[in-house]
Amino acid sequence: MFDFAGLLNGFHIALSPVNLLWCLIGALLGTAVGVLPGLGPAATIALLLPVSLKMGSPVTSIILMSGIFYGAMYGGSTTSILLKIPGEAASVVTCIDGYQMAKKGRAGAALGVAAIGSFIAGTVGVLGLTAVAPPLAEAALKFGPPEYFSLTLLGLLLATYLTGESPVKGFIMATMGLLLGCIGLDPISGAVRFAFGVPDLQSNIDFTTVAMGLFGVGEILYSLDEAEAGTILTTKIGNVFPTLRDLAQSAWAMVRGSVIGFVIGILPGGGAVLASLVSYAVEKKSSKHPEEFGQGAIEGVAGPESANNAAASSSFIPLLTLGIPGNASTAMIFAALLIHGITPGPFLLKEHGDVFWGVVASMYLGNVMLLVLNLPLVGMWVQLLRVPYAFMAPMIMVLTLVGVYSVDNSVFDMWVMLAMGIFGYLARKLKFDLGPLLLAFVLGPIMERSLRQALLMSRGTAGIFFSRPISGALMAIAILFVAYNGWAGRRRRRRMAAAAA
Amino acid sequence: MRSWQRLCAVFFLLVSGVVLYQSIRVLRVLDHGQPGSGFMPLGLGIVLAILSAVLFFQNRVRDEQRVRFWQPRAWVQPLVAVAITAVFIVVFDDIGAITSVTVLVAGWLWLVGKKRFVVAAIAGALTGAAVYVVFAKLLLTPFPRGLLF
Repeated sequence: MFDFAGLLNGFHIALSPVNLLWCLIGALLGTAVGVLPGLGPAATIALLLPVSLKMGSPVTSIILMSGIFYGAMYGGSTTSILLKIPGEAASVVTCIDGYQMAKKGRAGAALGVAAIGSFIAGTVGVLGLTAVAPPLAEAALKFGPPEYFSLTLLGLLLATYLTGESPVKGFIMATMGLLLGCIGLDPISGAVRFAFGVPDLQSNIDFTTVAMGLFGVGEILYSLDEAEAGTILTTKIGNVFPTLRDLAQSAWAMVRGSVIGFVIGILPGGGAVLASLVSYAVEKKSSKHPEEFGQGAIEGVAGPESANNAAASSSFIPLLTLGIPGNASTAMIFAALLIHGITPGPFLLKEHGDVFWGVVASMYLGNVMLLVLNLPLVGMWVQLLRVPYAFMAPMIMVLTLVGVYSVDNSVFDMWVMLAMGIFGYLARKLKFDLGPLLLAFVLGPIMERSLRQALLMSRGTAGIFFSRPISGALMAIAILFVAYNGWAGRRRRRRMAAAAA
Repeated sequence: MRSWQRLCAVFFLLVSGVVLYQSIRVLRVLDHGQPGSGFMPLGLGIVLAILSAVLFFQNRVRDEQRVRFWQPRAWVQPLVAVAITAVFIVVFDDIGAITSVTVLVAGWLWLVGKKRFVVAAIAGALTGAAVYVVFAKLLLTPFPRGLLF
């Protein structure tokens, strides 16, 4: 049932001056990190986790973080269109036609369509979230340990398969994440694991430390390695309000992108990147002039930009209703909720309805703010591209170090963060995706607890995961998914071998 | 790059070895017939060992052309950055947060960012002051007392 009263209460919370201010700050920061190549929303949210701890209200903290997440989707298109450098991973595909439009003197139209598409899709995504989340949370109340284990397993499988290039590397990262989550106290027996006599390792490794290390420090080191001569912005932007013809041409692309993004965003691991890629492929296939794609087709900007925003909104559905984050950014928001003593999941809506509806309502407001920030003020964001990274890198490093220290006042955490940063840097150099590691680190304790509780319930028989209807269905999907991917991979390799011969 | 991937596989295989040893010899795989603290790590250790072996065999053939891991001297800046950060952490407790932040930013801008020393020193001092105001005064973070504060 649609909870209209809940949503009204949410607007009451989100419209308070403090929450409005933080929503605006989130939208501003999100757009800024979206515009700046190199620093993504996951890293920015990680950097702000310690600040979140200091914020009294969990609603305010999550409003800020979700604003950064969906704000980055808006800002990501700016550098893709103007410089052919994706400001955010989900805007990679926008480079193709967006940059071609800019070269033809239509940068303004491309930026305008991207912002309008983002607004429409973002709003569609939030409407979907409002409608789908409550019944899903109600259904999830029936979940027991076997269902949770099957769900986390399926989530990790999907996330690992869908995010990276190599499933083997993805699974290695996921396994490492699960192992990292095992360090410290065993959640059931209380035994100390993998501490190797180091007292600081006896309590579990903090999520903030791992996240800031992998995504903050790792990102800085990687940027230093990849340092290129600064790209000079020469493109003229022109009028950012698209013509009626532009809007008519891109309207269906925005609708299709919104639907595709919403559906893919719900899947763990699906997220904004996959949504934009699928949307681009669909637009090209359904176009009467596919030859124009790659040459500056406006649908090639409108579709993917709509899809990545819809996906950003709908990825909150599994997080807020099932307690399963689907990507690195929502994993950070998951951690922020835990920091405030709130466990995301089916009980969130019942026990902390104010948090749920406050955040959802803030998304409606945030989307309006972002439209204003990204249409008339796009010139201001472009100026950000002129700030030299040489100055930004040490500032970000200071923020991560001081931030991680402020969580527990522990110098040891700074060492762990530096080690994680070096690991993250090397992993990126070797093309290992860090997303599955972080997701597994978050899901690990839930997974282990559910697994062991389920086995206790069944007196050690694994059949419990297959005999209960929901758990059995989830396991069947997981097995079919792995089998299909194995078969498809084998077929692809055979074709490649045949082509090579 | 394949040789680096093989090296990774060996590293993860070693990790799995440590995990398996700990799970079996130090922790309890089964506790009164029920899964114990070593149950999940044992499973993960086995999975990691299998995946490492797969990664190794996927990359068993040599690259047709030698692929560099780092472009010439591309490793220098990350290494210097790590070294400066390590120094920051070492001296953090002794010279205090604000002084070490100033030194970190100035050193970074001078050595990594190749900025003039004066510019680096001013930026360092300004960042130190900003950290003092935001973290020490506004967020009330209990920083260790140092040389200046």
